[in-house]
Parts: sequence; structure tokens; C-alpha cells
Amino acid sequence: MLAITFKNLRARKLRLLTTGLAVLIGVAFMAGTFVLTDTIQRTFDDLFAGVNAGVDVQVRQASNVEVDGFEARGRLDESVVAQVAAVDGVATAVGLVQGYTQITGKDGEALGNPGRGAPTFGMTWVDDPDLNPFEVVEGRAPQRPGEVVVDRGSAKKGDLAVGDTIALDTAKPIPPMKLVGIVRFGAADSPGGASVVGYTHADAQAYIGEPGKVDAIVVQSDGVPTDDALRDRILDALPDGLEARTGAEITEEDQNAIGEGLGFFSTFMLSFALVALFVGSFIIYNTFSILVAQRARELALLRAVGASRRQVVGAMLVEALVVGLIASSIGIVVGIGVSGLLKALLAVTGFDIPAGGTVLTPRTVIVSLIVGVSVTMLAALLPARRAARIAPVAALHDVGAEIADHTGRRVVIGAVVAALGTALGSYGLFGSPDNPTAFVGIGGAIMFIGVAILGPAIARPVAGLIGLPLPTVRGVSGTLARENALRNPRRTSATAAALMIGVALISFIAVFASSVKAAIEDIVGEDFTADFVVQSGTFGFGGLEPGIATKISGLPEVGAATGIRFGPARIGGDGEFVAAVEPVAYAEIVELEVLSGSMADLGVDGIAMSKDAIGKRDWKVGDAVPATFPETGETQLVLRAVYEAQEIAPGHLITTAAHDANYPDSFDSEIYVITADGVSADRARSAIEATLTDQSNADLVDRAGYAEAQASSVNPLLALVYVLLLLAVVIAVLGIANTLALSIHERTRELGLLRAVGMTRPQLRSSVRWESMIIAVFGTTMGLAIGIAFAWAMVTSLADEGFEAFKVPGGLLVVVAVIATVCGVLASLLPAYRAARLDVLAAIATT
Amino acid sequence: MSTTASPSGVTDAAMPRGVAVRAVRATKVYGKGATAVTALDDVTIDFERGAFTAIMGPSGSGKSTLMHALAGLDTLTSGEVWLGDRNLSRLSDKELTLVRRDRIGFVFQAFNLVPTLTAAENITLPIDLAGRQPEQAWVDTVVGAVSLGDRLGHRPSELSGGQQQRVAVARALANRPEVIFADEPTGNLDSRASAEVLAFLRRAVDEFGQTIVMVTHDPVSAGYASRVVFLADGRIVDEMPDPTAERVLDRMKRFGD
Repeated sequence: MLAITFKNLRARKLRLLTTGLAVLIGVAFMAGTFVLTDTIQRTFDDLFAGVNAGVDVQVRQASNVEVDGFEARGRLDESVVAQVAAVDGVATAVGLVQGYTQITGKDGEALGNPGRGAPTFGMTWVDDPDLNPFEVVEGRAPQRPGEVVVDRGSAKKGDLAVGDTIALDTAKPIPPMKLVGIVRFGAADSPGGASVVGYTHADAQAYIGEPGKVDAIVVQSDGVPTDDALRDRILDALPDGLEARTGAEITEEDQNAIGEGLGFFSTFMLSFALVALFVGSFIIYNTFSILVAQRARELALLRAVGASRRQVVGAMLVEALVVGLIASSIGIVVGIGVSGLLKALLAVTGFDIPAGGTVLTPRTVIVSLIVGVSVTMLAALLPARRAARIAPVAALHDVGAEIADHTGRRVVIGAVVAALGTALGSYGLFGSPDNPTAFVGIGGAIMFIGVAILGPAIARPVAGLIGLPLPTVRGVSGTLARENALRNPRRTSATAAALMIGVALISFIAVFASSVKAAIEDIVGEDFTADFVVQSGTFGFGGLEPGIATKISGLPEVGAATGIRFGPARIGGDGEFVAAVEPVAYAEIVELEVLSGSMADLGVDGIAMSKDAIGKRDWKVGDAVPATFPETGETQLVLRAVYEAQEIAPGHLITTAAHDANYPDSFDSEIYVITADGVSADRARSAIEATLTDQSNADLVDRAGYAEAQASSVNPLLALVYVLLLLAVVIAVLGIANTLALSIHERTRELGLLRAVGMTRPQLRSSVRWESMIIAVFGTTMGLAIGIAFAWAMVTSLADEGFEAFKVPGGLLVVVAVIATVCGVLASLLPAYRAARLDVLAAIATT
Repeated sequence: MSTTASPSGVTDAAMPRGVAVRAVRATKVYGKGATAVTALDDVTIDFERGAFTAIMGPSGSGKSTLMHALAGLDTLTSGEVWLGDRNLSRLSDKELTLVRRDRIGFVFQAFNLVPTLTAAENITLPIDLAGRQPEQAWVDTVVGAVSLGDRLGHRPSELSGGQQQRVAVARALANRPEVIFADEPTGNLDSRASAEVLAFLRRAVDEFGQTIVMVTHDPVSAGYASRVVFLADGRIVDEMPDPTAERVLDRMKRFGD
């Protein structure tokens, strides 16, 4: 049996190549994701190991507030540095200040965007080379006030040179600084793409920290005690509330934090690899089904001469195993290239990730092989079982028509499976299980399988309808195209199903996103009355210097203005970003629906919360709310107002004064402005712009622009998702091409006849092309219907959270129509060419 | 076979008015060098208009090769094939396709019909491929002669073998071709169905003046023809006007010698 299997494999190399390609692409994507995340992880591991290389022990505040993976710690008194330095075994102890600094390039544009991508920070320049991972490569270190160094990456990007006077944005007003040196991080121009400014210690405290305070103390041992022993000794000498960690511990913490973030990224990317493999499995299933149909006689002969059913199934599965193994192996190699493409793709869509040398781990190879081979074999299992059911007597007959289809049973089973998948997916979305992604993913897959089971039942009527105009428009070629597409509904439907999945996902996301955008624009239009917004593009870390909001408030052209700033805090035990505003101005600009209490009463110790943010807790106006701030520690706030949850309003609001009392650094993320009565928009705009001259990261937009910016903030991510989903479409195109090629092979005689009685090559090609188009349009139509239906369900179920708009983007329909057309034409190219090149005589003689 | 066409002459003068198709020194060699096989060896022959000619010969005699060359399905190694005033040997694939579509009718041994088209659609297939309107009166006449009755709207799989072959003949006739080539048209049929199909071909010649060239190895089939041409080893070895099945059988027996 094995010998026959291998003979078969060799005889149909091309067929298996296209089948294998479907597996190969999925595996390549998967391996590429692994390689890229491993590479990024290794890069960051090395980075942090490098940062902490010379640090034996680090001292910092023990308490921290963590919100969504973002960790905040308070500062410590500089006097502790001397205490630590006095500990036996300490050679050097240096207080470090770190904080937000954004560099302005020569062209006046801010470098980097800390809201998305690598951080933009400033720090104390430490002269001790063992405690400073940076080294000066040009000029010298900062020595006097007003002098700074920057990393070489930023110097290149901003076209900055030693001797230049450069503009910086920090929490406090900062004069132009003199650039005295360019530094390098080990061998790299900048650490992971971050922009770095090195200050003298006093400048760092003055502009990015606080006088008399440091963020951490780094310690170098005299080499006598072990790091662990030194850490314990230092800990004994520290005042309460501080902690000491060895350099190795800090490195591990940093690496784990990155690993967590990468975990999300990896899951995100892998889900697309799984989509690709899922689509690929349809193609494998289809190819093996067709091969079984075409080899029915041969298989029956094998059975007639004594091969058992198990041997027939086994032979098919060995074939699948070999295809899966070869395709997966090549896929892994291709995946290394794909990792580079993915990285480039991420960079294009705005996610610039540092990555060093490519990392290929055994895990990547093993997982990719197992998944690739399993998918291939699972997809081949059903056709293999069907092959085993061929009766030996079939060897004596002509290969008959397709096995009769139980349409009624098919509809019931398909509907049940699709409903089950939908239910599972809905539970994942709304039932808040532990692992929603898995539920949504598996539910979605089952739903698609259900639709695929239903497929053959609807393929005839729907594809028939799609092809209806063809006979009129394209004559005999059109009639033949339509008839051929309808000829084998099971095949047509399985082929179209692959395309359906890709199109359904794309249209679902497109419709959902456009509905969300419409909803956001509605909200900004109705509940938000600011005439202008100053945006910084940052959130939580860095932003607009707080004096600007004060200046704008004081302008005679301005009616009301408030900055909005965010700080991490634990409220009743949960880590949250708490927004701080000028409550009176804020209430004028954002139409809050206050349910109880009053925004005017917030004060320095008050907090206002939305009903949703309070959740199940029974806090009422006047109650004490336990809060923990990174700098000031545990405290109590008084709940002064409760408002209805609104998309435009954060869940927690305190006053700017309360923020300043609890956070040492204050940055406004945005400033909302209403112009004074009778002031023209132009006058107000130029008055506001005059206050922003020193703030290179500030961007002044009017309300429409703000609505647009809010709504389009997810655009880069969407673009990435579309590109990744297009991969599934590409695989589906391969599937259509493969099915067509196999079908045409089956119809060799018929094509010979058509050519003999006078069908020209262009007519034949046109016929194949239109058949391909019918399949493509069928798949696209089903995908579109599913995508829009699910998006509608999703939007409807979110109606009580303020999403009322359901909007199908008109552009989407055009894009999808183009996809269908292009897919149909592309998929038909090679099969049509080969069909037209058939030798007429040989084709007629084929039996 | 009174004249030899000049290789360059594309005129009626080169071809007697009564001749529908002609082969001039037609030679077909398969393979090269030592393994070369000569399927047609310098064959020159005319087929008259309105005649029903049968080509006979043992397996490997070159009768199918000759027919394929005459019908523009295959190319010659040397020599020429003329259909009316056209030298088929000089045509491109595209021109040959159009000649087959517009000027030639085909009936093959099996698999004559496109399975996805109905009997009626199969009959008008060449006309539809040309994008022309069928001459309805003529098509009706042909369809009437097929006597398929209510089965015209059926697919080939729902027709008997004899019915399928009659539909194939109707298709060949529908386009009013200059010549119909039939390759063992009854090879897959029982004797009764064969008789029906052959009688139908005969009627096409007698009533409509159709020219038919039929390859067969069956003496009974050849008996329906007005002339039989015998091939052996790629050469024309004999011919017989007004054949009967018995005389053809007798002649065939001598090939065994």
C-alpha cells in the first residue's frame, strides 16, 4: 500500500504543490509570528540585561500602582542615597531621576510618539560608566546646567548636532538646552527605538523630577558581598516603605513585563495564522475530496483485489502526512522571511518595534510542524473515509455521478452546527468567561463549518442566481460557466467557503468599525461642546505642560477651558486611570448626566464616578472611597457626584488640584476649549495658537477635527487587521484555482469536444474565468452576508452602551466587489490557460 | 482525382466544383529517426459533394489520422488538405477552430455531447459559439428528423446511446456544414440503434444533399455509404462504389492475407 501511496504522490506533484501551498502559507505565518515575537523578546531581554548590567542593587519605593500593565511608583528622598552609600559593601550609590522628555527636531516637529511605540524619556546622566549603559560617542557628557546629551538615533532623526540649541518638552517649563554630546546604547543608536535625553542631576530634578527627590538609587557593590547579601544589608538600612532589588531581579521583572505585552501581540498575530490554516484546511479537504472522486475506480480496484478499508484510509492519510510534513517544513523556512515582512508591515502601520538577530527556537519548529501536519491530516480524514466506502464493484462501472445528497438532513445538521458555533461565540463575547478569545475563536470556526455544511444546499440556487445573466451576456461561454459552477454544488460550496471566511471576517470588522466610528462622531457631536481641543497624542505619560491650560483659560477670547490629565491610582482595590479636570469648565463642555451630588463640590478630596465605574459596590454620594496613589500612598476620597456612564467621559474624575496634590508630575493629555460669546473662531484659534508656540507636541483641532481624530484612532490597527485577513483571501484564491484545475482535468474530454466543434481558445478561457467568478462571487456574497449580520448583532447588543449607529460603509461594498472580481480572475488564470492549451485530439481520446 | 492542386492556388479552378474536401500528398509521420512511424503515406484523395464516403481499414491503417487531418483536428507532416477553397494546412489554430465551427460537422464514437447542456442546446452549440442566430426553419427540420420528441430539453445523461448519437448528428447538420466527419459513429451502439443512426445519416445525404465522410471498421455501417475507400499501412489500397455489407466484408477479409 505504501508503495502505491508514494507512486501517487510522485504522479501528481503539481496538484499536491497547490494543496501543500495552502498549508505552507498558514504554517509560514505561524512560524513567522513565533520568530518575530521570539526575536523581539530576545532583543528586549538583551536590552534590559544591558541597562542593568552594571547595577548590583537598586533601591525604590515598595508600593506601586498597576493599571493595565502600566506600573507607577512614587519617588524617594535624596537623603536616602547617603544612607545607602554608607552600607558596608557599597562602592557607589547614585540617585537617578527619570521622566518624560520629548525632543523637538530641527524642523520643529516632536520626535516619536510615546502614546504608540517606544518611550520618549529623559534621565540623570550618570558619570560612572559601570552604572550607565550609555556611552558618549561624540562631544562630551553634560556638566553644567543647561547642557544635555541625546541618543544617536534621535540625533539622526531630528537632524541634531553637538553645539545645537535644542527645544524639549517636559512637565515643567524648560528653556532651550545646549546639546553637548551624542550617546549610544551599547552598540545600538538608541535603546529599542526610544528617544533619550541625559541631563545633569540638578537639571533632571528641576525639569523632569522634583528637587530633593530621586526615582531610584542604583548601587554598585565593592565586590565583597554577593548581590543578594548586599541587597539584604541595604534593605536593613532603608527607611520603611522602600525596597531593594538585585540587578538580576530588576532585569527579570522588566523582561517579564515585556513578555506579557508580547503575549498579547503574539496571540493577536497567531489568531490570523489560525484563520489562514482554517481556510487552508477547507482547501485540503476539497482537494482530497476531488482526488478521491477522480480515483474512485482505482481505489475500487484496490478494494477488489483485497485492500481493506483501513488500508485505503491509511494510504490516503499517509499521503496527507507527507504533504503536511513537506509543506510545514518549507513553511517554517518561509516563516523566517515572513517574520521580516510582518515587522515591516507593523512599521508601516505605525508600530515600530525594535528587533535584532532572528531567533528560531525549537518550539517554533515543533509547534509549526505539529499544527501543519495535524491540520492537513484532519482535513483529509473525511475524504479518506469516503474513499474507503467506495464499493469494490465500482471498479467495473464508469465513475458515476456524485453520491446522492441528503439535502434535508444537510440543512438540519448545518443549521444546528452553525447555531451552536454562534452560541459559543456569543457566550465568549457577552458571557464573560475566563478565556473569551478561545470561545469566540472556536465558536466562529464551528459557525463557519456549519455554514459550510449548509453550503451545498444553497450553492445551487444562489450560484444559479449569480450566474443568471451570464448566458445572455456571454452566450455559450456564459451558459457553460454557469452550468459548470452548478454541476457539483458540494465542490463549488467548499471552494467558495474558503473565500467566505476571509470576506466574512473583513466585512464584519469593517462594518463594526464604521458603526463604532459613527457612534463616536455622534457622541462628540451631541455631548461634547468644546469648540477647540489641544491634543498632545499622549496618555498618562507626558503631554502638555500644565501652565498652558491656565494660560488658555485666562484668554479673553476663551469662555471656558480645562485640561484633562490622567494618573494611575487604585480606587477601591482596582487599578484605574483617574482623570483630572477643572470640574466647572468641564461640566460646561461635556454634558454629563449627573445622577446625584454635584460636580461643583469636588474639591481637593472629592471624586466623581460614573455608575458603571461604581459597579456593584454600594457607594453613595458622601461615602468614603479608598484610594491609593503611587506617590502619596493610601488615602480616602469622598464620593461627591455620580453620573451616567458616557463614551466621552472617563469613569473617574477628580479636580486638577487633587491631581496636583497626589502626583508630582502633571501633564495635560488634552485641553478642551469653548470660545467666548461673540468671538470668531479664527480669532480664538490664533489666540490659542499663540500659547502653544513652545509646545511642539501640541496639536490644535476644532470639534469636527477632534471627532474625526477620535474616530480614526483605531485606523492603523484596522489597516493591519485587514492586511492580515487578506492573507486568508489569498489562500482562498489558491483554493479556487486548485479546484478549477482539478475540475478541468476531469472535463478533459468535454473540453476536447467543445474545441473540436469550434469553441475558440478565448471562448474557453472566458468560460473558465466566468465559472471562477461565480464561485468567487458566491463566496464573497455569503461572507458579506455573514459579516454584516454578525456586525449588526454585535452593534445591536451594544446599544445600551451608547452605540446606536449601525453603518455599513459604502466603500466596503465596493472593495469587496473588487476582491471578488480580482479573486475570480486571478484564480482562473492558470486553469484557463491550461484548459485552452489542451491538445484537442488527445483530449477527445481521453477515457 | 483528375487534377493536382497547385500548392499556391487558392481558387475554385484548383478544385473541381463537385469536390467538397480533398487531400493532396498527405503524409503524417509520428516520432523521429529510427522510431518514426508513418501513419499516412502520400495520400491524395477527393471527396465529392453530396456523397456519403466510408473510410475503412484495419487498426493502424491510418484511417483515423486521415479523417483528423481532413477535419482540421490534426496537422500534416507534409501535403495539403483543402476544404472548398481553403487550404487547411496553412491555417492557425484559431482559423482552424473557426473552420471547424462554421464549415465542418462532427460525430464522434462517444462523448459527443456536452453533459451540462440540454439536447436542444447541444444541437445549436456551434451556431451559439459563433454568436449567430440559428436558421429556425432549418433547425426545426433537423430536429424533426432526429425524432426526439419531448426529450429535447433533457440532458445527455437522460438519453439513450442511440438518442445521444442522433442528437450529435443533428448538431453536425444544424450548421449546414460543407462536410460532416463521423468517426465510428455507431461504435458504441447495439445493432438497432446503429441502424437508426446510419439511416439518419443516409437521409441527410439523400434529402439534404449533405456531404459525409465516415470512418468505420464495420462492414454493415459501410454498406450505408455510396463509396468505400480502403486504407492499409497509410495508403489508399482500394475503393468500392455503391458498396453492400457482404462485398465490403469480402474485401476486408483479404486484408488478413
